[in-house]
This record gives sequence, structure tokens and C-alpha cells, in this order.
Amino acid sequence: MKVIEFQNVSKHYLKQRLRYGLLSESISRLFTVHHSPIANHNLIRALDNVSFSVNKGETLGVIGPNGAGKSTILKLISKVTIPDSGKISAIGRIGALIELGAGLHPELTGRENIFLYGAILGMKKTEVETKFDEIVAFAEIEEFLDMPIKRYSSGMYARLGFAVAVQMEPDILLIDEVLAVGDEQFQKKCFAKMNQIKNSGKTIVFVSHNLDWIKKLCSRTIFLRSGKIQFDGPPSQTVNHYLKTA
Amino acid sequence: MRNFILMISYLKQLYKYRQLLWILTQREIKVRYKQTTLGILWAVLQPLSLMLIFTLVFSYFTKINSEGIPYPIFSYVALLPWTFFQTAVQFGSMSVVNNSGLVTKVWFPREILPLSSLLAALVDFLISATLLIGLMIYYHTPITLYIFWLLLLVPLQMIITAGVNLLLAALVVIFRDLKFVIPLGLQLLFYATPIIYSINIIPDRFFKLVLANPLTGLVDSYRKILLQGQPPNFYYLSSSAIAGVMLIIAGYWFYKRVDKKFADII
Repeated sequence: MKVIEFQNVSKHYLKQRLRYGLLSESISRLFTVHHSPIANHNLIRALDNVSFSVNKGETLGVIGPNGAGKSTILKLISKVTIPDSGKISAIGRIGALIELGAGLHPELTGRENIFLYGAILGMKKTEVETKFDEIVAFAEIEEFLDMPIKRYSSGMYARLGFAVAVQMEPDILLIDEVLAVGDEQFQKKCFAKMNQIKNSGKTIVFVSHNLDWIKKLCSRTIFLRSGKIQFDGPPSQTVNHYLKTA
Repeated sequence: MRNFILMISYLKQLYKYRQLLWILTQREIKVRYKQTTLGILWAVLQPLSLMLIFTLVFSYFTKINSEGIPYPIFSYVALLPWTFFQTAVQFGSMSVVNNSGLVTKVWFPREILPLSSLLAALVDFLISATLLIGLMIYYHTPITLYIFWLLLLVPLQMIITAGVNLLLAALVVIFRDLKFVIPLGLQLLFYATPIIYSINIIPDRFFKLVLANPLTGLVDSYRKILLQGQPPNFYYLSSSAIAGVMLIIAGYWFYKRVDKKFADII
């Protein structure tokens, strides 16, 4: 069963923010989903006519140089942004760990942030309560639960963010290079947890520069460059392909 | 018809996310008063200090016609809905921009941001309303059955404010200049609304203009039902209600048209 599907998806970004001239013009620009292409040299094609699908239970790795469009894929799956053309479907509750601490608020305590993040995922309070102890234990922040997280160390921040995202058991988990922080021991723990999620039949999309993890964790990997899929296949083959062209 | 179905689906989605709306409202209240010594007391102190200064100016320095009502309570009853509107708009209009960290990284129904500013302002409103009860007792203002009009006035006040908030929050993302225009606009609106003066002293040629402001009918109705023991003026209140309904429909429609692009523009 396909849980994520991209059909001819393109997404451009403007190199510069458009200087909005006439009020009416800029408002009408907002309303049109499919822009007529603006001057070509001013566009960055983050994704250029990309099609792929992910089956339920697959762990898809996404590799490629900086600016290849890897993060854009995650943002599109999680609906944070919309494509300029093409169709995207994603079925199920999505947990996104797009950036360290995304969805956490610095002024709130660890406890409050756990409930905030659960609510962002569309969970009920009682659902969060049943997961609460596991999250705290996984993040190892018992003593700091009632401290505003702006006083947390970056390691604690990372642990909390990861713990909340994975323990909420989303159907699709999006992870973007956020595990580089944290010490060796925590990285191992994250790795084990991701393996466990994978084995429980959930779908993961994992963006990383850590090719070793990609090979160990993913069931399939795509290699992106300049907004296009260069290779799509088993992780070891894709990684080899990537290393050859890099 | 298609728009209508779309609207219903947005509302369903919003209902599904009510937990987030509630948590963000709590967050806004907490963050606003955190690290202040007086905390939530500020909710009362803001309208109270305005009331004191206006009483000094318009009741001692110069006399303004307050229809026989003691000026402190005459102005305070109007300052309550005004302060609600002002607080909600001040925070709500900036809510999307100020939460860019959330907007660019996670998805949730975006209208939750300006709406949580609205609910946070409602909490302030309810707290500051307790002082009005005190004032009413002090001035021996009789409470009449007309007080039940509040069941209509408070929701109307929220509808008007929600409409303005949705509209402005989306527009601020697109035109940052509005950041400077909004405080100015609020100040002008304050004087254009019969808060420190009575609706009855407005000259005829300005009357239609003042009535076009949806807050006029609202503020006047508060005064009538709470202080004067009269029903609201039907004409004033209904123009306020019509404007309010139009504002929220236009505001929500506009907001949903542009909110998918927030993450790219912000």
C-alpha cells in the first residue's frame, strides 16, 4: 500500500523575496497556485518534476548534496509548504522532526512542551498522558521536567525533540539530520529506536548525510541532485552511485 | 457551494485540533505575564489606569456629557470590550510572524495562531470584568434583566475581533509594513469609537461613519444594558452584527486562501 506518493512534483523558490509592488498585484499572486514562471535566473528549482512513492512499512533514505531538495521533500510531505505543480498524497498521522526543536517553545517547561507537541500532532490530552512517562524516560530529563527548556543544554533539547516525535507513534515519521547532536550513547539509543519503529511496520523517511546509518537503517534510498532523482534503489547501490558522482 | 463545503471541512479540521488551540492559548497567557511581578493583575491595571486618566481629564479638567452616569464607570464599561479588541489584535495580528519557527517546520491549521490570541485576550477580559462588578456595586447601579444581552454581546465581540485578527494576521505576513500601521490604526479607532464619549454627542454628518465601525454598536450596547437599564439600540447593534458576520466570513476566507503559502513567504 502506498502511503506517500509524489506525482510530477515541482517546487521553486525565489532567490530573492519578491518586491511587492502594487497591492492588488501581490494579492492576486498569492491566490494563484500555479505561477507563471518568473524570470528563470531568479528561480531555484528545489524539486524538478519529481515522482516517487513510498509503501507502508518502508524506510526510505534520502541522500544528496546540500541544496538538492531533500528537506523540501519532507516539508512537502508534512504539508508545511505546497508544490508549485504536481500532486502529493500522504496518508496517516505525520510526525516531523524537520529541525532540532521544531514545535518546541523555549519559554515553556519540558512538561508543557510534551503536551504542546502532542497537540501539534493532533493528539488528545489523554493520549499524550499515556505516553508521557515513556517520553520523559527516553529523553532522560526527569529532573528538568519543570524547567523552561530555554535553559536546557542542546543535547537535552535534541533528546526531548526526538523522544516526543518518536514516542507519539506517528504513522509516518520524517527525520531530517537531527541526530548529529547528542552524545554517542544517545545516538545509539536513537538508532535502536528507529530500528524498532521500522520493525513495527511504520513508515520512515530519513534524510541524512550519515551514509553508514542510511545503509544500516533504510530499506530503499533515493539520491537527489539539483532537484531531480538521480538514483532510486537499495541503499548500498544508491550510496555507491552517490559516492561516484560526488 | 464549493466554498461552503470547503469552509465546513476547515471548521471540522479546526475542531479536531481544539487541544492545540487550548494549549497555545495557555501558552500565550503564560508567556505574556511570565517574569512580570504583577502577573495577571496587568489585565485589570491596563483598563483601570486608562479609566483613571480619562476620568481626571474628562470629569475634572473638563466636563464631558456622560448621560448622568458617573464617568469612571461610564468609561470603564466601554474600555473593557475595547481593551479586549486591542489586546487581541495587537498580539493576534503578529501571531503568525511571531511563530515563524512553528509555521515553517510543522503543520497544523494555521488559524489556530490568531484564534489563540483571541482566546487569551478573552481571559484578560473576564478578569478585568470583575472590577466592573465592583464599580457597579460602589455606584449602586441596579442590575436589570437586560444583562442577559451579554450572552449575545460577548460572542459578537469575539466574532468581530476574530474577523479582524484573521485578516490582519495574514496581511502582516505579506506586508510587514503593517506592523507599524496597526498600532496607529488602533489609536485612531479608539477615538472613532464612543468609549470616552457618548454616542449621542456625535454630530449628524459623522454619524454614518461612526456607525460603520462595528465596535460602535457593541460598546453602546454594553453601556445601555449594564448601566442604563435599557435594551440595546436595535439599529446600532444590528449594524454592528452585520459588519461582524461579514468580517469573519471575509477574514476566514482570505486567511485560508493564503495560509498555505505562509511557510514560503515568512
